[in-house]
Amino acid sequence: MIDENEIIRVAKLMKIDLEDHDEHVSRVKKMLEYFDILDKIDLSSEEITSQQKSLDELRKDEFIPNDKKLIESLKNFREYYIRAPKMN
Amino acid sequence: MTKIGLEIHCQLTKLESKLFCSCKANYREFEPNHNICPVCMGLPGSLPRLNQKAVESATSIAMALSCETPEKIAFFRKNYFYPDLPKNFQITQLNVYGNTSVGGEGYVRVEDKKIKIRRIQLEEDPGRIIYEGVSDRTKITLVDYNRAGTPLVEIVTDPDFESPRQVRVFLNILSDLLENLGVAEPGLEGAMRADGNVSIEGGSKVEIKNIGSFHDLEKALHFEITRQQSLFERDIEIAQETRHWDDRRKITVSSRSKEEDQDYRYFLENDIPWVKIDQSTRDTLKENMPESISSKKERYVEKFDIAPQVAEIIASDRYYSKLFENAYSVHNAKDIANLITTDVIGFIDTKEKQEKSKITSQHLSDLIDAINSKIITRNSAKVALQEIMKSGKDMKTVLHEMDLRQVSDSSEINIIISQIFDEEKQAVLDAKERPETVNFLVGKVMQKTKGKADPVKTLELIKSKLNQ
Amino acid sequence: MNLNTSILKYIEDIKSGSFTVEEFTATTLQRIKDVEGDVHAYLSLNDSAINDAKLIDQKISSGGKVGQCYGFPISIKDNICITGTKTTCASKILENFVSPYTSTVVNRLQNEDAIIIGKTNLDEFAMGLTTEFSAFGPTKNPWNLDYVPGGSSGGSAASVAANECLASLGSDTGGSVRNPASFCSVVGLKPTYGLISRYGLISYANSIEQIGPMTKTVKDSAFLLNIIAGQDANDDTTIDNNNVNYLENIEDEIEGKKIGIIKEMTASDGLSSEVLTATKDAIRDFESLGALCEEVTLPTIPYTVAAYYTITSTEAGSNLARYDNIRYGYELESDGYEYNSYISKSRTKFGPEVTRRIILGGFVPSAGHAGKYFLKALKVKSKLISETNKAFEKFDYLISPTSPVQPFQFGEKIDDPVTLMLLDYNTVTANLTGKPAISVPYRVINGLPIGIQIMANSLEEKSLLQSAYALESKTNLPEVPL
Repeated sequence: MIDENEIIRVAKLMKIDLEDHDEHVSRVKKMLEYFDILDKIDLSSEEITSQQKSLDELRKDEFIPNDKKLIESLKNFREYYIRAPKMN
Repeated sequence: MTKIGLEIHCQLTKLESKLFCSCKANYREFEPNHNICPVCMGLPGSLPRLNQKAVESATSIAMALSCETPEKIAFFRKNYFYPDLPKNFQITQLNVYGNTSVGGEGYVRVEDKKIKIRRIQLEEDPGRIIYEGVSDRTKITLVDYNRAGTPLVEIVTDPDFESPRQVRVFLNILSDLLENLGVAEPGLEGAMRADGNVSIEGGSKVEIKNIGSFHDLEKALHFEITRQQSLFERDIEIAQETRHWDDRRKITVSSRSKEEDQDYRYFLENDIPWVKIDQSTRDTLKENMPESISSKKERYVEKFDIAPQVAEIIASDRYYSKLFENAYSVHNAKDIANLITTDVIGFIDTKEKQEKSKITSQHLSDLIDAINSKIITRNSAKVALQEIMKSGKDMKTVLHEMDLRQVSDSSEINIIISQIFDEEKQAVLDAKERPETVNFLVGKVMQKTKGKADPVKTLELIKSKLNQ
Repeated sequence: MNLNTSILKYIEDIKSGSFTVEEFTATTLQRIKDVEGDVHAYLSLNDSAINDAKLIDQKISSGGKVGQCYGFPISIKDNICITGTKTTCASKILENFVSPYTSTVVNRLQNEDAIIIGKTNLDEFAMGLTTEFSAFGPTKNPWNLDYVPGGSSGGSAASVAANECLASLGSDTGGSVRNPASFCSVVGLKPTYGLISRYGLISYANSIEQIGPMTKTVKDSAFLLNIIAGQDANDDTTIDNNNVNYLENIEDEIEGKKIGIIKEMTASDGLSSEVLTATKDAIRDFESLGALCEEVTLPTIPYTVAAYYTITSTEAGSNLARYDNIRYGYELESDGYEYNSYISKSRTKFGPEVTRRIILGGFVPSAGHAGKYFLKALKVKSKLISETNKAFEKFDYLISPTSPVQPFQFGEKIDDPVTLMLLDYNTVTANLTGKPAISVPYRVINGLPIGIQIMANSLEEKSLLQSAYALESKTNLPEVPL
């Protein structure tokens, strides 16, 4: 059974504010309960597959200067630095 | 029974570009936030592109540390929120589906011990945070992303170190090794960082993070060992935790247990395919690796009969070994080696001086030839070297301009000796009575001739004059 | 001049001088003015479209080199970046985000003189099946304005169906191109994973999503594919397609080809009766074209929706972590906040569905739960790949209806999360396996469209388009009433 407190704890980790949003918790719970179907299939022999490339197909090590003005198009930009909220 | 383990991060500053984009790997020359692009800024829709040479360099490091290297490597996402992480995840490596980081299960010999290297992984450096403001409450967080995406190699050791001193020796060996490979510049500020973990008497392992330099590392380790020992002596339990090094107060402090709340949700970085590094590629990398320091040293000792300590000094530094290898001949190898270790090292003792020096291997062999044919004295050679270092002029010119040719003519030397005998009457009397003090007089002659007098002849002539 | 034309016909008409690019563009813009109040397919329009058109006309009349597209108007889903334009992902958190770079696919189109008419509406961050989750209001189905256009590329599909442009680029993560294509009676293709560059596509689930063309005809789809497909240095996941020409020989017959009818996607209790009937008729049509149809079972399919949502929410949770409003986003002063509270406050701008997916995406791969959910989902993916590979040893194509139901009314399905998820039942297989699939508009019943989905093996787009063309040749569809 899914513990709703667990869902709330995860939301906090994901920087999601759940104030006034109990419906989110119950909906997420419903979706998770649907995922229980995954317990019913035999997966014992399965391995993870993935795309592969060889070393020589990778990007060559070259310096290519980028547009110096990129930083100006971003927000919170203050005299060259990006200004972030103060840390706790 | 102290046990220390290390987690070292080394930037691959010798690469041209960052790990996942074509911005410059060595960000130090740029104004803040002027070495960025959509990829390393993690702009929406941007995608990472893996740097081929970074993989090669990291694999070479793994091989140099005697690690096993896998056939395929993969990258993972480590998810957490922090202002210096443009994507709020770091692309790094993990060994989850078998061994998928660049290397592992290696070792480094430190004196008589084998320090086990648990794993080596390739990952991206985050940006840099600068705090502005006075009190903790008003501090503003300023971020510079120039460093975000710089290629890092993380080297993790087993807790095999027994003392902070051993750690220091290891770090020196490691720095030399990385520099010798031509992939990193450990001397650059911030290019190499290390965190550690400490346990004593088989107790809990304490991680120490936020250590700024190797110097601080030693201090932090000493402090932590002392702290744990004092707890142990008073029968107080040592908590297994993460502490951070407070550089201002020079102590380790318990980190708020935010670490424990952390869940990195590691999963494969699907924007980067697995990279196959087949055996022949790895063999080629191994062949092209610069010769290791220890094998160079062995070669110098065996082939040229150079004293081991001298060989060690030259082999450990690329600058000296290059000078040596281009200067020596079958006859003068030993002399060149000694010249380097006794004189050259004296004035070229920093990376900067190495870069600025104009001394070439040709200069060294010319000087050795001149010394051996008695054209100049060893002392004069030293003076000449200093000038050559600055001007780069060839030896003949320097000897001529500075009038450094050895004075071997007996009559010339005798004139100086007579002058000294007049000036140093007491020393002459002392020398007559106690012959071992004659070197004082020799020294005075050398002084007067600015080192040019043939010291052997001078001694001879002084002795005979004393006996008159 | 008829706006209800195909790209290929349009190019013929431009070349023969029937009308100019500027005329067609102006008429298109007028059409947009006329119907957008009802349809709301677009989030923003390109101010310089007429100027772009004029330049192309000049090139044509001066005998200069003109790109293959001859200025035909195309719309782009608003999760694909174009320099200097807003790319919002239909989200409040990006409502003022102006991209400083252009995606590869749009670059390739612009290099061939296509005219980008505007950016189209979508479910926020491409998470949804009806476009009802757009933060800027839903798009309406041009076939019946009370009904959903499908999603998440609802705006793209509607813009083509309503003759507001001749084609669109959408993105397909779990059916987001094929589903709205089916609902709006247009052709929607999801190519093999890695065929089309994702550079500039704002990521939702990067291991399975692809940009896909949405067009009036199958030949138009092939035409677009020729322009945008192919390896890209900016995207390490793209693969070499050997410069295949998808339009060439597209009319080749499918006689003798083996078609597998996917049992799990065509079960009578899973489909509405109209969709079931249409499916049976489509099978008969295939048979009349000489193909051999036979039922095939893929036992992993009932688990694919759960696996899909587990995997995509994990990736979404990670891909959307960067939206912390620090480097880009919307105006919010950081005074009075500290880091964590600032980010949480900023992220309240996410809509409800995105918020839920992010929470899910934190849960299913987390240390205590990954074994039960995420790792299992990855194995389902692997198992499905082996199963479909095996099926393609025997069959050339696998078919099913694109959607188990016809379009439905607004508000009808979004309240129950499981019902909503299951709308993807027939489409997620192609995404999880990386194999190409196309939705071909087949029938309109009671004024509501039904599409048939055809799947082929990896990198078999050329063959896939042939089968789609063959089926299309059997259809006789009405014009959109709008």
